Amino acid sequence: MTSGHRHWIAAVTVTLAAVAWVSSAAGSSPSPAGASGPPAPVAGADTAGRQLYLTGCSSCHGVDGAGSERGPSLRQAGGAAAYYYLSTGRMPLADEQAQPRRKDPAYSPAEIGLLVEYVASLGGGPRLPHVDPAAGDLAQGGVLYRSNCAPCHTAAGIGGALSYGRAAPSLHSSGPLQVASAVRVGPGQMPKFGSETFDQEELDSIVRYVQHLRAPPTPGGAALGSAGPIPEGFVAWFFGVGALVLAVLWIGKRQDQNRGRDG
Amino acid sequence: MTTVAPGQGGAVRRTVRWMDDRLGAASFARTALKKVFPDHWSFMLGELALYAFVILVFTGIYLTFFFDASQAHTTYKGSYEVLRGVEMTRAYRSAIELSFDVRAGLVMRQIHHWAALVFVATMVVHMARVFFTGAFRRPRELNWIVGVTMLILAVFNGFAGYSLLDDQLSGTGLRIGYSIALSVPLIGTWLVSLLFGGEFPGPDIIERLYVIHILIVPAAIAVLIGAHLSILLRQKHTQFAGRGRTEDNVVGERVWPTYAAKALGLFFITTAVLTALGGLAQINPIWVYGPFDPAEVSAASQPDWYMGWLDGALRLMPGWEVRAFGFEIPNPFFPGVLLPSLTFGLVYLWPFLEARVTGDRGSHQLLDRPRDRPVRTALGAATIAFYGVLFLAGGGDVISTTFGLSVNAVFSAFRILLVVLPAVAGWVTWRLCHELQLRDGPPPADESVAVATLSGEPDDGRGEEHGAGYRGPKTESEAVGEHN
Amino acid sequence: MAAMDDREVVDTNEERPPSLAAERLVVLAFTASIVAGLALAGVYSRGGQPQLEGVLLAVSLGGIGIGMVVWAKRFLPGEEIAEERGPLGSTREELLAFTETFEQGEHAIQRRSLLLKMLGGAVGALGIAALFPVRSLGPRPGRGLFGTPYRPGVRLVTVDDDPVRPDDVSIDGVITVWPAGSARSPDAPTLLIKVADADLFGARVRRDWTVGSIVAYSKLCTHTGCPVGLYQADEHQLLCPCHQSTFDVLEGAKPIFGPATRSLPQLPIGVDGQGFLIATGDFDEPIGAGFWDRGR
Repeated sequence: MTSGHRHWIAAVTVTLAAVAWVSSAAGSSPSPAGASGPPAPVAGADTAGRQLYLTGCSSCHGVDGAGSERGPSLRQAGGAAAYYYLSTGRMPLADEQAQPRRKDPAYSPAEIGLLVEYVASLGGGPRLPHVDPAAGDLAQGGVLYRSNCAPCHTAAGIGGALSYGRAAPSLHSSGPLQVASAVRVGPGQMPKFGSETFDQEELDSIVRYVQHLRAPPTPGGAALGSAGPIPEGFVAWFFGVGALVLAVLWIGKRQDQNRGRDG
Repeated sequence: MTTVAPGQGGAVRRTVRWMDDRLGAASFARTALKKVFPDHWSFMLGELALYAFVILVFTGIYLTFFFDASQAHTTYKGSYEVLRGVEMTRAYRSAIELSFDVRAGLVMRQIHHWAALVFVATMVVHMARVFFTGAFRRPRELNWIVGVTMLILAVFNGFAGYSLLDDQLSGTGLRIGYSIALSVPLIGTWLVSLLFGGEFPGPDIIERLYVIHILIVPAAIAVLIGAHLSILLRQKHTQFAGRGRTEDNVVGERVWPTYAAKALGLFFITTAVLTALGGLAQINPIWVYGPFDPAEVSAASQPDWYMGWLDGALRLMPGWEVRAFGFEIPNPFFPGVLLPSLTFGLVYLWPFLEARVTGDRGSHQLLDRPRDRPVRTALGAATIAFYGVLFLAGGGDVISTTFGLSVNAVFSAFRILLVVLPAVAGWVTWRLCHELQLRDGPPPADESVAVATLSGEPDDGRGEEHGAGYRGPKTESEAVGEHN
Repeated sequence: MAAMDDREVVDTNEERPPSLAAERLVVLAFTASIVAGLALAGVYSRGGQPQLEGVLLAVSLGGIGIGMVVWAKRFLPGEEIAEERGPLGSTREELLAFTETFEQGEHAIQRRSLLLKMLGGAVGALGIAALFPVRSLGPRPGRGLFGTPYRPGVRLVTVDDDPVRPDDVSIDGVITVWPAGSARSPDAPTLLIKVADADLFGARVRRDWTVGSIVAYSKLCTHTGCPVGLYQADEHQLLCPCHQSTFDVLEGAKPIFGPATRSLPQLPIGVDGQGFLIATGDFDEPIGAGFWDRGR
């Protein structure tokens, strides 16, 4: 088996695991109020969350979120940031220089809930948002998405390149609460969209539209990666022109092949 | 007047007699049926483009029944929930309705778009065949010029076509087109005002592009196709050297019935490939891009492939512009106006440039094998490499995302590749041609004999009328001599 | 007729044995085509389905195509014919005769040289007259490209025409605004960017044109006018997705990568008596893509 092969299988496994986790999280998250939220904090969350923090996070972010030279202070990070980074597996980070990328979360949903509570208790910052995609309007979400999100994440949500090696990630594996948290937090290069920019209804609409983009209808057939004219051009050349050249070769091939060099 | 055999029966005969009574064309028509076409697979590439054009006309006519080329604003209230209540132009709305509500509308739209991509692609492939085999040489310079003109028209009409739908992607393309036109010194501001009817986006551009797209350019292409084929019929097709094939004859199949049946079969196969693509592969999903808004843009905005090299040139151009005395030549002028002008100018002139450089002004009916003209072949390969790099640069951001690379590193690399790769490709091709010539050894004895005897007299006896420059397949010693 | 007789048969296909398999193949291809054609009618009448339509069209057309090609290759005459090309150019006599005929007419026309010159003048004038309708295609460019609807005191509004207070912009956030009364004006979209601290602004930012840590730049790229919609809050960079021009927000939006040569123009902004953001003037240079006399 080649290493490229293994790479593939690993990627697929990770993706499947992530999808499984995200869907299980999504399934468990709706609270009785109908809005998604973190798992309800259990008794003694303070200490349990703090314990988890001390073991997993404090080496970079410092004791009680004070920060260190290896990682920023979390005192103004807020619960939304903690949820976003932990549930998408972007934290903990193996290499603090690298741009955090989505991977399997290191913590269970319950543990993430504890950590979110703990980080939220450290100070200010955006609280974990409430989100109810069903209350949003798909068309309004589309309008807001195309003007505010598509410039970086592309109209189809497949993610796009930014300058100097940064990238806006694909949104196709992002759950509702993750999207909402990212909007409010503005993680990394992403601008922050507070409630003064998008109210609750607009946030719900955007989240609904992003969820729609994860499995959009493709009435035209294979979506070709939803990456626009580049893959379309390659398909036109390889499948279109390719098939036609094969046809021409077949038609031009004579039954008896012994005619002149080029016959 | 030629009369048909006086048999009484048969609808065919009666029709023929009726027509011939009025046109007297039976003799001419018989000549056409008995015309001989050399058969080599590569001679059918141009046919593919012709058939794609036919499909474009038919699907295009269908689309015009539903498309509404108006920039008037409206609110969508149709069946596609995701856009309900969204403001848009009537052009975009009609394209959405065509895609979702008109039965067979989406498949027709997609066949049309795929056919456009394949139309230009097959033209380029055909042109490459003509270039690498030297089929553009005297007496066929005129047809080269006609062909290049059709290529330019096709590229332009493709751009005009996808700009009509007024989605976010097409509007972005139009804006870049506007800025390129605006960058022309002296007349740029007038040019865009007259084209767009005012400052971007202007009130008129879609209506105007529509007329240009469905009437003016297709009519021009149709006329040029007529000229292209008439010249071909008059001059008779070129052929490769081979047993019994000389500068003075055409060896191949008669048009009727075999060649005609194959050609018609190829037409149907072309249609089949394009309809299969149109049904199975989604193209230009305008409902994802949304209606055009001049203040918005999506990441990964690319033009269709045949404009990709221009977009790539815009991206690779360093940030330079010329300013003096309060006047300036803006940056997009160089990649957006100068480069295509130079490109097509050189392509137009190529037959004459080559004749001047090689001193070969003779008539040629036999084609070159690419390896027998290493310099031309190498230049062709270098050209393909140059425009290939520009094309890839047009998708540099998508490449960066796909492979997780830095955009800046990718574009810096493309800037270097743009210079290095053509040189490498040219040199490698040149070497390859010589290697292939050597490996060929002397041409098979019977062939060279056949060429010499069947052509009646030795090459040098032909004087100016036939190919002073034609030397036939090279012998080994000649090839070695050139190599050294 | 004579030309026909010049053709000689160079080579003929061997007498091919009648191939049952090939005939079956043709029959199969045409049958598939018939079935697909009929099925297409069925799919269409049941409401249509793009994928089925495409595939059935492809089968019905491809069946005909493949059938015809196999038919032609296996059952139609395949002999190679050599046809004389014959000379393409005319003979010397024909050329001379043509030139002579042409020149005779030419001389007859040129004998009245005054008339000829007048005709030339009339045609020339007509040609010039024909240019005038072109002028109807668009207005004189004028100074429209040099300015935008921003005027001193005009409020900045969002796409929904809502005025904006400084607090409506999140730190590290960005919103797009237009002048009140001209919301969505195509040449006026402007980015309001709030950074964490006004002290981050470098020397190229005109500080008297900012409000607190909010700075306003034209959203239209100075290269080809695309909206520079990608704000990288961490690096304080604006990236144009069309051609990757990158602008440094903290340094007056000067270009730091890509083909753009000029900074994004900064809009002078202030706050009115009711606490809403206003423009204190128009951009001091033309926005968007460059043109010949933009510096005049």
